[in-house]
Amino acid sequence: MHMTRTAASTALVVLALVVALTGCSTGQRVDLGDGAEGGVIAAIAGEPDQLDPHKTSAYFSFEVLENIFDTLVEPAENLQMRPALAESWEVSDDELTWTFRLRPGVTFHDGSPLTAEDVAFSYNRIIDEELTNVDKFSAVTSVEAPDPATVVIRVDRPVPNMLTNLGGFKGMAIVSRRNVESGEIATHPIGTGPFAFANQRSGDSITLVANPDYWDGAPDISGVRFRFISEPSTALSALQAGEIDWTDSVPPQRVQQLRNDESITLAVEPSNDYWYLALNEAREPWNDVRVRQAIAYAIDRDAIVQATSYGTAAKNQLAIPEGNPWYVPYDRYAEGGLDKARQLLDEAGVSPRNLDMLVTTDYPETVTAAQIVADNLAPLGITVNIRTVDFATWLDEQNKGNFDMLMMGWLGNIDPDDFYYAQHHTDGTSNAQKFSDPEVDRLLDAGRVETDRQARFDDYRRAATMIADQVSYIFLYNPSVIQAWNPALQGYQARRDGAVRFRDAHWAQDGDA
Amino acid sequence: MTTRDDTRISSWKLLARNPVTLVSALVLAAVAVVAVFAQALAPYGINDVDVPNALQAPSLTHWLGTDELGRDVLSRVLVAVQASMRIAVTSVALALVVGVAIGVLAGYRGGWLDTVLMRVVDVMFAFPVLLLALAVVAILGPGVTTTILAIGIVYTPIFARVGRASTLGVRTEPYVRMSQAMGTGDGYILRRHILPNISGPLIVQTSLSLAFAILSEAALSFLGLGIQPPQPSLGRMIFDSQGFVTMAWWMAVFPGAAIFVIVLAFNLFGDGLRDVLDPKQRTTVEARRRER
Amino acid sequence: MAAPTVLTHPIARFVVRRLAYSAVVLLGVAVVVFALVHLVPGDPVRIALGTRYTPEAYEALRSASGLDRPIVSQFFGFVGSAATGDLGVSFRNGDPVTVTLMERLPATLSLGLAGMVIALLIAVPAGIYSALREGRASDAVIRISSQFGVSVPDFWMAILLVGLFSTTLGWLPTSGYRPLFDDPVGWLRHIVLPAVTVGLVAGAIMTRYVRSAVLEVASMGYVRTARSKGLSPRVVTFRHTVRNALVPILTITGIQLATILSGVIVVEVVFAWPGLGRLVFNAVAARDYPLIQGAVLLIAALFLLINLIVDVLYAVVDPRIRLA
Repeated sequence: MHMTRTAASTALVVLALVVALTGCSTGQRVDLGDGAEGGVIAAIAGEPDQLDPHKTSAYFSFEVLENIFDTLVEPAENLQMRPALAESWEVSDDELTWTFRLRPGVTFHDGSPLTAEDVAFSYNRIIDEELTNVDKFSAVTSVEAPDPATVVIRVDRPVPNMLTNLGGFKGMAIVSRRNVESGEIATHPIGTGPFAFANQRSGDSITLVANPDYWDGAPDISGVRFRFISEPSTALSALQAGEIDWTDSVPPQRVQQLRNDESITLAVEPSNDYWYLALNEAREPWNDVRVRQAIAYAIDRDAIVQATSYGTAAKNQLAIPEGNPWYVPYDRYAEGGLDKARQLLDEAGVSPRNLDMLVTTDYPETVTAAQIVADNLAPLGITVNIRTVDFATWLDEQNKGNFDMLMMGWLGNIDPDDFYYAQHHTDGTSNAQKFSDPEVDRLLDAGRVETDRQARFDDYRRAATMIADQVSYIFLYNPSVIQAWNPALQGYQARRDGAVRFRDAHWAQDGDA
Repeated sequence: MTTRDDTRISSWKLLARNPVTLVSALVLAAVAVVAVFAQALAPYGINDVDVPNALQAPSLTHWLGTDELGRDVLSRVLVAVQASMRIAVTSVALALVVGVAIGVLAGYRGGWLDTVLMRVVDVMFAFPVLLLALAVVAILGPGVTTTILAIGIVYTPIFARVGRASTLGVRTEPYVRMSQAMGTGDGYILRRHILPNISGPLIVQTSLSLAFAILSEAALSFLGLGIQPPQPSLGRMIFDSQGFVTMAWWMAVFPGAAIFVIVLAFNLFGDGLRDVLDPKQRTTVEARRRER
Repeated sequence: MAAPTVLTHPIARFVVRRLAYSAVVLLGVAVVVFALVHLVPGDPVRIALGTRYTPEAYEALRSASGLDRPIVSQFFGFVGSAATGDLGVSFRNGDPVTVTLMERLPATLSLGLAGMVIALLIAVPAGIYSALREGRASDAVIRISSQFGVSVPDFWMAILLVGLFSTTLGWLPTSGYRPLFDDPVGWLRHIVLPAVTVGLVAGAIMTRYVRSAVLEVASMGYVRTARSKGLSPRVVTFRHTVRNALVPILTITGIQLATILSGVIVVEVVFAWPGLGRLVFNAVAARDYPLIQGAVLLIAALFLLINLIVDVLYAVVDPRIRLA
């Protein structure tokens, strides 16, 4: 009797302690709660590699940064550029001087005022340190702040797409000098945008809170928590169950069935994104254009499009989608298939045995497509070794040139220069495949300064055709922007450029989900 | 001197008498056949992508249906079973050889060697299976070799303990003491007296460890850390089925059922073997039978 | 004659001995865990920084992690800091590892305990019933069912359960976690499926142990004595057999809890459960070595702690063990 009682009471005490411990919430979280408290819980498919807008190139990062930072100008819903941090601007007659007048009364999240010094600092930082988007400033000779409300940018030649260069996406965001110099910008960014960074829990979520002093009016929602859910079906179920309010991680095979689902609002928008394969021209035998073309002929685009998008994407052998004013039809690789591929390999006199294909779990479409590619190339005697890593590692491997082939997408492009320059110009900052053709360079450079619309269209048409003929990329398809959210969340729109903007969102008056 | 021959004959009889054990043995025989002849048995190639026929329900052309890329599920399951078996057998063999060596050595020599070796084994026991496997993957990167190594390392302690326990049980026996006193070499003693005595519990443990090795391999592949695509693996197939559970249940059910059946067979067979081969257990069983 | 002090009490001596033993084992674990970082082919700091690499960041992270000192000094530094609770900083985001681990611990503990409760609810009645009906058909049925439970891959069961109860029927959420005190109903709804997944397998394993514990007790002397005193069989069963089997059952519960806590990795990943298991998995995928080291050390320590508590409880209850 005695021992049982002692054991029992000990057990009870232990149990009580443990329940108390496990029942507590982890105090540090800024708990936005569900819709009832006014915040939005958004699920994105992967975690940002870092939060410095000038250095990151990951879409996951920009989904979050879109809400933290501003640019001088920004795209409206129809992708026309409109004033943001800059209220107005003028171009000199010779088109070599751009003068921007800043909006008064704008402050950073830490309370410090925005001045022209910050704009100059931001742009000069990108230029001097040659950061990710430096090519957008290739024509810029100087950025100055003659007075706290004015920014003067001088260029050495006319730049017809200056506005999209400065504001197409948040890669050219205006940052705070103090935030950069303290080194905190990569983990604790401070911007001027509608939401301020509150905290990040690695592997779990990033929380933003509303900025009441935002220049375009305080947001109606109290904040946004971006949760990282890598499994699309998990994200979708969470949305349908009301645990999250918004997601762009929707399994494409469910789209058909979701169109009739009234418990969620589904948006399927044609986008300016595109997916591609790239062969590493710094390695043999991929440096031979015939070998690259052989691969381009052997790929079964229809199967890839079907398996990755279930009919929501549009096949395309160039980057710019149909419906876009800059679209050019091209389908050289539609005919020929394996026979043509074999013929080209014979001509080149090579028979590659192995191909190291780099894909990432954070973008499941790449893993799916890789298996189709493996099947497509097997008859040619090529064994595709699929290397699956997380996105941060993927970026690292890409930048080090550690791959034979990779698959990735470029999202949120607006101007044709956005679609082609950085990736295919010899000096392009995103030219990981090491493509180089002087004629293409010339055309891309010409397109940057050409002010005549028709001439510009021709420049890009010829450049794109050459890029595809010489297989700098094997373009695959233009996906749709697919996002789904709680019908009670209003004022939010899915955008063609994929920018995720919560500033105008509000909850419907009759309460939460 | 020993009565092993008599024991052996009635062992088989006891084994065959238990229907559960018999059925599991048959299942395992079938699995062995698949493990060797998977490629010949598979009706389609494992990477025959056929997107227009994706997500087909089981039918006469595809007995277990097709997956999201139109590949035949049956063929992939067969080859995946082969891969799983290869990894399981290799890793358990590794664990057995190293583990038993450590255990027998510790048990036979005793003294400080025993203490040190057993402390090391204890350290390894402090590591939960999957955790240790993850740690190995963190160092070496994902893949088949890493999986074999990880599972092998994780299951070594248990074989060490079995080896040691059995060795300790026999070491004090009179005939062993006599042999030692006569100056017989250790090698002879080990071979003739010690090893045959541990074979019973060892075989049982092998069967049970194989069961868990298959589960561990499946878990590692599920997490993306084991067999890499496009090589099929049962764990990975289950992972890929997640987005399609409501649309294509066969993608999730069949690979999982394969794992379940194989592991169950190893467990039931191991249990049956234990009833027969492990003398302590067996005495209890017989004693109980007599009492009733 | 001096009065007996606390330290001469046999239980205290036993506890101290076991503590010392556990400390040695934990040190061994620390050695292995420490070796992790140094066995990595390539430069772990460089790998971790990835695209955020700059010479300054590299140097900063390297010295913050102490990797620029000689190995022996590093090891003692590691052990020393770990003893005071400092497990370094994460390679990914610079957050202190200890803080991150503590944040994730409650979720794993709740899952482990909830799973344990379900496991006990299954194992105790089934084990007892099976032991009492030993040798008969129902015993065989229960024994084979428990083998079924042991053989099912937990992630497979999790996916099927989610497919049925969440996606198809919509009764329960697919993922996520709610703290108990914040939202009790939410907590319950979110924990059901993961806990059932964990509990079914653990329950199956434990059924066999409960059964053999009850069988062992049932064959012992005092049960026969009780029967001979004329007490009815049912009374004998519930009073003596079960009560005395409680001790080994408690032991098994402790061991199984430790196993569950360390085995929840896969379940946490499937259910996006913000616990230690998922943390370790993400850390491995991201090569965040300090986090992996800290998590492995913590889990091993928890494991040892639970085993220690179980051993002590056993010793409190069974005098023979104390003298061992």
